[in-house]
Amino acid sequence: MAIELKTHSLKTDEMIINMGPQHPATHGVLRLIVNLDGEMVKHVEPVVGHLHRGQEWQGQNRTWFQYQALIDRVDYLSGMFTSWAMARAAEKLDGLVVPERAEWLRIIASEMNRITSHLLWLGTYLIDLGAMFGFPFYPFREREKLFVLLEEIAGQRMMFNYIRIGGVQRDPKPDWFKRAKEFTEDFPDRVDEYEAIVSENPIFLKRTQGVGILPKAVAVDYGVTGPTLRCSGVNYDLRRFKPYSMYDKLEFEVPTFAGDGDTQQRYIARVKEMRESNKIIRQCLDMIQPGDIMAKKQVAGMRIKAGEGFEAVEGPRGVLGCYIISNGSDKPFRFRWRNPSFSNLSVLPELLIGHPIADVMAIFGSIDVIIPDVDR
Amino acid sequence: MTDEEKKPEEPKAAPAAAKPAAAKPEPPPPPTAGPAGQFLKEHGVVTIPMVDSCGCETAEINPADLAAALRLLRSSSEIALDFLVTVSGVDNIDTYDSVYHLQSFSNKNEFVLKVRIKKTDVPEGKLPNVPSIANLWKTANWHERETYDLVGIRYNGHPYPRRILNTWDWDGYPLRRDYKQPVDALNDKNPHSMR
Repeated sequence: MAIELKTHSLKTDEMIINMGPQHPATHGVLRLIVNLDGEMVKHVEPVVGHLHRGQEWQGQNRTWFQYQALIDRVDYLSGMFTSWAMARAAEKLDGLVVPERAEWLRIIASEMNRITSHLLWLGTYLIDLGAMFGFPFYPFREREKLFVLLEEIAGQRMMFNYIRIGGVQRDPKPDWFKRAKEFTEDFPDRVDEYEAIVSENPIFLKRTQGVGILPKAVAVDYGVTGPTLRCSGVNYDLRRFKPYSMYDKLEFEVPTFAGDGDTQQRYIARVKEMRESNKIIRQCLDMIQPGDIMAKKQVAGMRIKAGEGFEAVEGPRGVLGCYIISNGSDKPFRFRWRNPSFSNLSVLPELLIGHPIADVMAIFGSIDVIIPDVDR
Repeated sequence: MTDEEKKPEEPKAAPAAAKPAAAKPEPPPPPTAGPAGQFLKEHGVVTIPMVDSCGCETAEINPADLAAALRLLRSSSEIALDFLVTVSGVDNIDTYDSVYHLQSFSNKNEFVLKVRIKKTDVPEGKLPNVPSIANLWKTANWHERETYDLVGIRYNGHPYPRRILNTWDWDGYPLRRDYKQPVDALNDKNPHSMR
């Protein structure tokens, strides 16, 4: 509920407060210029760009092969998805058909990555709400197990560089599938554990119910995507809406809420999504067959046919797209990222106005923005 | 050092290769308007169909008609392109493009609309002008600011035309072909330190 402070008897002054850029709860470096009337937020201006690394500039000044390794840094919590968006756009331009086994491996790796991303969100979000009792260690325990699995196939814990143009980088050992399966069997119980701690916690409910309400029309107007949009009553998940890769062969649900979404629903949606991702991984582990994993020779001077195309995947934060113009040389002519966090963050002023300052980080955390994804 | 020397060559090499595919749609069957293009034609907005970008309908439009066309596409119930995915700027060989990727939350329509400004039409020292659609889609606000910041396209009528990713006093537009990296990129006045 949006708290209504009875301020009529108090004299309040407007003041301007600078939150950040070095604020512990901003998941990177975000600066918010907040106009306050007493405790209530009157106006907010997000100032982004402190983490701008010129990813698009780097894209068009490096070869395809070189830039593949940098792509995971666009959004460091969902490296698989950034690689996948770029790989899909380049494959479409080049007319490549990805081997079936590579598609399964991509789904397994990406859904694991989605779980790690949501787990990090869950842990840090509770800290944003002030839960200083060590809750993050629970989700981080499972996150670590997933990173051990992902490290084994990709060679790195977070900057995977695993999904390449034309397929995936390497085939896991048979033993790996067994351990992945063990994880998926164990994971639902662990999610129950988080839910037992959080879902009905009275403080959590007080801080989240009715806070940060995002009506459907506003969400559509701002191009908000991902769980945040689905909580506002739009059933838009690219995995279901325009099934790519092998998603049309898999059974899973997309948690959607009718009506205007609040912070609590965004929490419920993400927890449900983790369970669904776990289900997807389990199905993929059953369906995967031996076969080829790469359709394009990975050489330093590899070229992509001329043309232009836009391709998107459903990342943990929303529609993660890549618009590529190629002129047939070994470097992209233009490389453009469509990042979910960028559009999701632009809606923040609408959400914050009328809330007390204590809710600023609670609402900001609930839309799950990653600053490197905003600033690129 | 070697990186700096190589850079001037690249823009020259690019035009020759890109032209046949992207710039001029001259292959035998001329591109025809798809559903979105037909719809606009019926409502009296002229678009020039271009080669599909990977199966997605693409068209060019006059800057003056842009806002009207987008308003039509968004409000019609049959086309219903209500999701502005991204606004991107492209410094092409002889044009500046402002590219609008449109999708729909309710059906599977996709449409790419391009506004092209010839470089020869842009006076020396001035920026290409494109009408802003920030009052039509709030998401366009930040996307247009970013395009202005990185590619240097000015959006007329934008409510807050400021740089967004770079600092407000940044020199030049980093994604232009003729962009030169500042020597003092980290406030370091020594010209050799960054190279």
